[in-house]
Amino acid sequence: MTTAAPLPGTRPRALTFGNVWLSLALLAALLLYPFVFGKALNFGVATLIFAGFAMSWNVLGGWAGQLSLGHAAFVGVGAYTLTLLAMPERVPAFLGGPVAPWWGALIGMGLAALLAAVWGGLTFRLRGSYFVLSTIAVALVLRLVAINSTWTGGAEGLFMPELPTLFGLDLFDRRVEYGLAFGFVTLTLLVTHLLRRSRLGYALQAVREDEDGARALGIDPAQMKVIAFMLSAALTALGGSLYAIYLQAFEPHTLLELPLSVQIALMAIIGGRASIQGPVVGAVLLSVFGEVFRTLFASANLLIYGVLILVITLFAPDGIMGLFRRRGRKLGTAR
Amino acid sequence: MDQVALTALLQTLAQGLLTGGLYALIGTGLSLIFGVMQVINFAHGDFLAIGMFITLALFRTFHLDPYFSLLVAAPFGFALGFVIQRLVLARLGDRLREGSMLATLGLGLIISNTLLLTFGAQPQSINVPYATSTFQLGGVQISIPLLIAGLGTAVAIGGLNLLLYRTELGRAIRATAQNPLGAELQGVKTGSIQAIVFGLGVAFAAIAGVLLMPLLYAFPTVGENYTTKAFIVTVLGGLGNLPGAIVGGLVLGMIESLGAFYISNNYRDAYGLIAFLLVLLLRPEGLFGRTVKRV
Repeated sequence: MTTAAPLPGTRPRALTFGNVWLSLALLAALLLYPFVFGKALNFGVATLIFAGFAMSWNVLGGWAGQLSLGHAAFVGVGAYTLTLLAMPERVPAFLGGPVAPWWGALIGMGLAALLAAVWGGLTFRLRGSYFVLSTIAVALVLRLVAINSTWTGGAEGLFMPELPTLFGLDLFDRRVEYGLAFGFVTLTLLVTHLLRRSRLGYALQAVREDEDGARALGIDPAQMKVIAFMLSAALTALGGSLYAIYLQAFEPHTLLELPLSVQIALMAIIGGRASIQGPVVGAVLLSVFGEVFRTLFASANLLIYGVLILVITLFAPDGIMGLFRRRGRKLGTAR
Repeated sequence: MDQVALTALLQTLAQGLLTGGLYALIGTGLSLIFGVMQVINFAHGDFLAIGMFITLALFRTFHLDPYFSLLVAAPFGFALGFVIQRLVLARLGDRLREGSMLATLGLGLIISNTLLLTFGAQPQSINVPYATSTFQLGGVQISIPLLIAGLGTAVAIGGLNLLLYRTELGRAIRATAQNPLGAELQGVKTGSIQAIVFGLGVAFAAIAGVLLMPLLYAFPTVGENYTTKAFIVTVLGGLGNLPGAIVGGLVLGMIESLGAFYISNNYRDAYGLIAFLLVLLLRPEGLFGRTVKRV
């Protein structure tokens, strides 16, 4: 199949909503949450982790314009790496004992980046829709391996009974987890802000808007996409490690399923790929909706995702944050 | 090779071929849609699930034989696809390529979750007397419902072939696939053609769902698996390549069947995925396609 250069308007518009103050205000609000809703820390931690996932996804999905429906693979890599290395009975013998979770998280990030490098290296050579199709396949292959192998704990998954303390803090304490998840979101926001003013960020936008034009300027589109993919994967794996600590016990069905990948992608897209804070906004909004509708729809909580993505795709392709920006622009031109 | 091993091989191949026929039917619908509209339909498996649940509901309510449900499911699928193209995809304009992926993804979630709210999460099956009956052919046992599914697939694909190459509508569809602007200039209403094509694709998925119902359990998220299978089939055969989709479906059925029998049944779904990744890696144009533009 051959695909011509994308028509104008087929990709999200340039990222212009780069207000640092907005990010700081958002972070301040998230920092206040535990003091106001101290009883709902579970929900807070999960929401923050998903906000970080969506931000990480957006490095590839928004900045490089490559739709991924396989980010659950990296969540799984992060979660499994940390957990397998931290469990004395599962850790490979040559490591000589359990590995501390922070090192486990780093190793997971490295593995995820490696996976992304190989996977992106193979698929970004091709134009068209091959990447998005491959994303589903890779995550599914990992899931089948996790279910059918004994070293991964099989279909029952893994349970982490204990972890070493970090500076005397119990990692299974929800307040500590909230702090770590907050740090994760802060990191992803920081990376995105840095990306906005970096060579890599400009190159990615150039590739997204016009691949042939970017190539004419000496940018290698495939290479840029691979770098964005590796960055996105490593950040997602870091979140995956946190998610494993938060869950403490998990199975392949919760971590490596297509719905998780879809959820991450849709949070970012519904919030707004073209804005820096959009994915966080989307994650918070959809988590709240999910919580509100949980009693009403029980397990059909992805229904709201379906309805929202349909509405967003038809009427607000730049997501919820795009609505505000468009209004701002209209006011600007009216002057 | 002794007699027992030979029979086992033939049995496995027959099983793979018939299952592959169903994959071909599912993949043909997806490939047709992609070939004419450049749309990747992420809800394809969910349309199949609709076919299954229509059969289930008709069987439960009227004790209608599953195969008679085709008379309801196929037109319903066509109408649904036609309406979706008109109300959703046609409005995406120049954002069609990516927008259609997101829109169909959303539609798929709406369908599977609505099925969940209506029918519940537990797998359900219908009880027909011939569900487990088999047919003997030289020591090879062939399941009757699977054989009917294979025949149904052959009829549907044969019909599509006649439509595409023997009718004026088929000529218009092929023209739209080759060059939408040129077709429009020749007086083809490409908007209607696209709606018809999407309707046909959805109808094919729904037909596959009906044919699968006597063989499988229906559950709301059953479609997820078949969306992936449809992707594998179309990539094996080359995106938008209809004969390729048919061969791709048969190949996938064979790979799964042989892998499950000779290697391990646990990884049944993995063999197709691995073949899919290998094709992406080595021959992205599909097993029979022309070259793909590389970056």
